[in-house]
Amino acid sequence: MRRLLLAGAASAALVLAAGCGGPGGSAGGDGGEKEIVIGVIADLTGATGDVGTPYNEGMLAYVDYLNAQGGIKGHKIKAISEDYAYKVPVAEEKYRKYVSEGAVAIQGWGTGDSEALRSKVKDDELPFMSASYAEVLTDPAQSPYNFVVAPTYSDQMRVALDYIAAKDPTAQVAVFHHDSPFGTAPVADGEKWIKDKGYQLGYKAYAMKTGATDYIGLLQQAKDQGAKYIVIQNVSSPAAVVARDIAAQQLDMTIVCLNWCADELFIKTAGTAAEGHLMVQPFAPPGANKPGHQPIREYAQSKGIDLDAKGLHFVQGWYTMHVMAKGIEKVLEDGKEVTGPNIRAALESMPAVDTGGVIGPVQFSADSHRGSTASGIYQVSGGKLTEVAAAVVPKS
Amino acid sequence: MAATATGVYHTSYASELRLRHTNAERFRLVLMIVGLLALPWTVNAYWLGIVNTIGIAVIGAVGLNILVGFTGQISLGQGGFLAVGAFTSALLARAGVPVPLAMLAAVLMTAAVGAFFGLPALRLKGLYLAIATIASQEIIVFVVRRWGWLTGGQGFLDVERLTLFGWRVPRHSFEFVWYWIIAGLAVLAVISARNLFRTALGRSFMAVRDQDIAASAIGVDLARTKLIAFAVSSGYVGLAGALTSHYTETVTWERFTIDVSIQYLAMIIVGGLGSVAGSVYGAAFIMLLPPLLAELATLVRGFAPFVADQLPAVQAAAFGLVIVLFLLFEPRGLDRIWQRVKDYIRFWPFRY
Amino acid sequence: MTEFIQLTVYGLANGAVLALAALGFVLIYKATRVINFAQGELLLVGAYLFYTAFVLLRLPLVGALVAGVAAAAVLGVAVERLVLRPLIGEDPIAVIMVTIGLAAVLKATVQMFFGTAPKAMPKVLPAGSVAIAGAPVPLDRLLAVGIAAVVLAGFTVFFRWSRHGIAMRAVADDQQAALVQGISIRRVFALAWVLAAVSALIAGILLADISEVSQNLAGFGLVVFPVVILGGLDSVPGTIVGGFVIGLLSQYAEGLAPGASQVVPYVALVLILLLRPYGLFGQVRIERV
Repeated sequence: MRRLLLAGAASAALVLAAGCGGPGGSAGGDGGEKEIVIGVIADLTGATGDVGTPYNEGMLAYVDYLNAQGGIKGHKIKAISEDYAYKVPVAEEKYRKYVSEGAVAIQGWGTGDSEALRSKVKDDELPFMSASYAEVLTDPAQSPYNFVVAPTYSDQMRVALDYIAAKDPTAQVAVFHHDSPFGTAPVADGEKWIKDKGYQLGYKAYAMKTGATDYIGLLQQAKDQGAKYIVIQNVSSPAAVVARDIAAQQLDMTIVCLNWCADELFIKTAGTAAEGHLMVQPFAPPGANKPGHQPIREYAQSKGIDLDAKGLHFVQGWYTMHVMAKGIEKVLEDGKEVTGPNIRAALESMPAVDTGGVIGPVQFSADSHRGSTASGIYQVSGGKLTEVAAAVVPKS
Repeated sequence: MAATATGVYHTSYASELRLRHTNAERFRLVLMIVGLLALPWTVNAYWLGIVNTIGIAVIGAVGLNILVGFTGQISLGQGGFLAVGAFTSALLARAGVPVPLAMLAAVLMTAAVGAFFGLPALRLKGLYLAIATIASQEIIVFVVRRWGWLTGGQGFLDVERLTLFGWRVPRHSFEFVWYWIIAGLAVLAVISARNLFRTALGRSFMAVRDQDIAASAIGVDLARTKLIAFAVSSGYVGLAGALTSHYTETVTWERFTIDVSIQYLAMIIVGGLGSVAGSVYGAAFIMLLPPLLAELATLVRGFAPFVADQLPAVQAAAFGLVIVLFLLFEPRGLDRIWQRVKDYIRFWPFRY
Repeated sequence: MTEFIQLTVYGLANGAVLALAALGFVLIYKATRVINFAQGELLLVGAYLFYTAFVLLRLPLVGALVAGVAAAAVLGVAVERLVLRPLIGEDPIAVIMVTIGLAAVLKATVQMFFGTAPKAMPKVLPAGSVAIAGAPVPLDRLLAVGIAAVVLAGFTVFFRWSRHGIAMRAVADDQQAALVQGISIRRVFALAWVLAAVSALIAGILLADISEVSQNLAGFGLVVFPVVILGGLDSVPGTIVGGFVIGLLSQYAEGLAPGASQVVPYVALVLILLLRPYGLFGQVRIERV
């Protein structure tokens, strides 16, 4: 008898447990127009969290700013933003969650998650923007739903090589890159560019060990090569280590940082060793005070945020979301429903988005999801990014 | 009525060989089958996805438990073997081999690689073996990251959506279809592992765990047994890896780091070493921990925003804490806890 | 030649820190037969403890060091008492897993309080470089080697001549005989963990000074294994030799074949395990059924 009772209780419990499923679908807007759900996958506490956090803050700040103005044609944006700590499996789980909550577009972050989700967004038909500027993501044939707002790493490399060739036509260039697809992305394209343009530059690539306390071995190899310029495709911390090592060794080498080490963090970490090095950075830092920085400054002031302390990644996040919002705006202007494929079509057909000089006008097309090709070149002087050349495009 | 059974007695060989001996066990089995069949219709796509990852983890955990729990060979190299299985299956599928065959080939390939990396086990024991497996894990990950041919220079592999006999898995029922595939394979894995330990080979594994020198004295060929244990265990892990590659549709080295190896070890420790059911419980527990914590974080966001802000750190801390607490208070894991619950009910009102 | 000297100095500096970190590991193993997978995280915690005392609390250098050592000692005692003592006599895999769990908890706790962004800390060791045979060599690395050498020598002296050191060696050799002599096993265990935490603190401070205060410091923990296997799990001089050898090997590998240096310690580990599993100085273990 007792066993029967227990068995009955157990099966009732099982049915109850099975009955309560997981989180329900997305909540609709309360009153007014329907909300537009955008899923944001951010790295706040992971390996690249130090730059991922201001980027995410900038993105969410833009959503807040837009919603305060009534949203896009009356539709508010619901941005679901969660931290994946740079772990690809977690990014996939967040993606599935956003899809089940009715997201119509996704904002990603790093190369790992952008690549991992590339075929999924293609099958699920959701436009995907991220801070990974790998060239492969700009080809609609391979990545039909990926959109790259900024110049690709390869474009930045081309700009850097153009600049070096103009200054010092026979220089040797060493490329220090992160040991990953993110790092190797621009390497082959750089070599090809030198051949295509007939430059006399020497060119050799070296992989940077992760978590190393010094890059003396690499610098020695570069010295053997006779390198005068070191292009670094990596994040700020390892690049700062290289800068400090160059200063300690008193080597006559100039670093040319591509966008991920060309920021305030590099200057802060390297300290005085950062002086004189060059930065290729598509997004203008707040200190450059372009017209496009104005709305951000106003918003920041109203919220008590110190924009200069947040740095250029805040601006980067702001404008990346801005481009996506422009695509959604066009969908609504055309009177269509806000779905993934419609946003994609709108992004491909919309006129160039003016960002007030922060980054060149951003425009996509059915043949190219490369939004812009222009980068600014800066030099570190007096602990600040000082503009040397603005909106430089690779030589045609 | 409880406490009247004095034991389970058999009157034929057939009844002794059955997997379930008592009515209570059979009833629970029926409950479980009903639960498994009903599950995909009762949860939404997101949680079904999590169930699918649990299913894959079950296969891997069962494989690992065969090696660590039943044969006593400490191994921290699962990540590497998962990588071998995933890459083999993905590369063969890209070359046009039908997916079931590709997965089978992945199992065999991983078993061979596992046997190879099991060679140090012939000379090393305990901690030294553990350290050797750490080295094998790091070397495999290094090779996978640097060997351009594997990924065509891209650094990762794209795997086409699963297409069986010309029928492509549709987007809207993706999780649903995969649930049946994964659940089916997991059930097969669990039953085959259970059966393995009713055979002489399985018993020789356990003999090697308990006292390997004495085992060799009674005629167990140590070298052969250890290598077979590595091979069999790696076969299961290879299947888990192959499933991962087709289910997540990308193969990147980031999924196969030493953190994954540690996660699998945690699963079998929390579930119970040397117990197939324990592998299932442990896999479910460890894989459910992060999403449940995420749900908790959103619940307490109002008065404890700290949890939500630092969610990944909280999840990592919870993971470590779970391991430590289980080892301090119930080193034999969830399986033992369940046994104690059953015993308590069965022997009531007596203590033992 | 200059390149060789530079590589050697950098290799020795890394090796010195490795030897200090591995020293704690060997201490724990010798006294308690426990494999401490949390050694890297002890380094991490030590560096952040010092950072808190030196930068956040603005204590003077000596004060910060004393505070750091005291905090590390408390951590060592707490870990031994709460986590390791209940597991005495358990399966080796259980003990390994508990230290792994502990490592995860320590790392996550540091992340919760300090985040993942690298923290700026004023340099403790003087910056600047010095010329050795024409090769510019940074002063801070030379000093790191010197400081580590002094600490390691201090530990060696402690073990050979001090009462507590001899007690630890007795316990490592034969626990029952030591008990009979009146040595308190519990105190020795606690002392082993305290010394391990303190040596990890010093290694962490040196490492953080020559690179940065960030989560990367924990990564050093994995490289400790090749060091102790090379030197012998229960030999302190072996650890010192092992540390310098692995440090130099990695650096030379980086100079010759960049990128390969990540895997060189593990290849070395496999070779040692195949040829001489007990290391250069370790004792051969005889197993009885």
